[in-house]
Amino acid sequence: MKNNKNSLDEMQREKRNSIGNQMFMLMFYALLIDIGLYGYGVRWLSYPTNVMVIIIVCMSIYLVRIIAVNAYLPPKAQNRRNGVILMITIVFSIVLAITGILLLGESPAETVATTKDNSAIILAIVSVVGLLMALIVMVITKVNNKDEKED
Amino acid sequence: MGKNLRIKAARAAKDMSQKDLAEAVGVARQTMNAIEKGDYNPSIKLCIAICKALGKTLDELFWEEDENEEQ
Repeated sequence: MKNNKNSLDEMQREKRNSIGNQMFMLMFYALLIDIGLYGYGVRWLSYPTNVMVIIIVCMSIYLVRIIAVNAYLPPKAQNRRNGVILMITIVFSIVLAITGILLLGESPAETVATTKDNSAIILAIVSVVGLLMALIVMVITKVNNKDEKED
Repeated sequence: MGKNLRIKAARAAKDMSQKDLAEAVGVARQTMNAIEKGDYNPSIKLCIAICKALGKTLDELFWEEDENEEQ
């Protein structure tokens, strides 16, 4: 059963599917609770940021969990230097955000002060936390790999 | 499901590491590790691939004798 395709192996697929189902259910119930709270007049964030935050949080948990159980990259891709790619992604995101701010000519602090809407800041924080979590998980995975090395 | 020491022994006899065997059958090293530790139950296709890579039969690597089975 030589795996010629650049895809996940059977254990990785099984784990990814299991985590995916759990995270789908989590997102479904979180959105349902959010709708319920909205009906009772509890507005923790303005629409559509509340939905975005729930989806991003669920996606982040999903990503972190599949990275932690080694079900994110196929076997053939595991020898690549993922740390370097992740660092490039983080730096590129920051550069893109700064460029956007410079081109638009408005600082996020000013926008928040004038519109009294802190949704953009919350989304930015969620993204940064997500990237940092991915970095931490990658380090943990590397340590785990060293620990469980046999022979 | 207990540890599968027969795979480990067959692998050692062929002087292969878990990584070598995993690459030979097209799975991740962690998957091979889980199979040897008894944490993952592989499909019959993967069992056959492992047997072919190690030059053993399915019986030799995966058959578990029932303790209550009449001899």
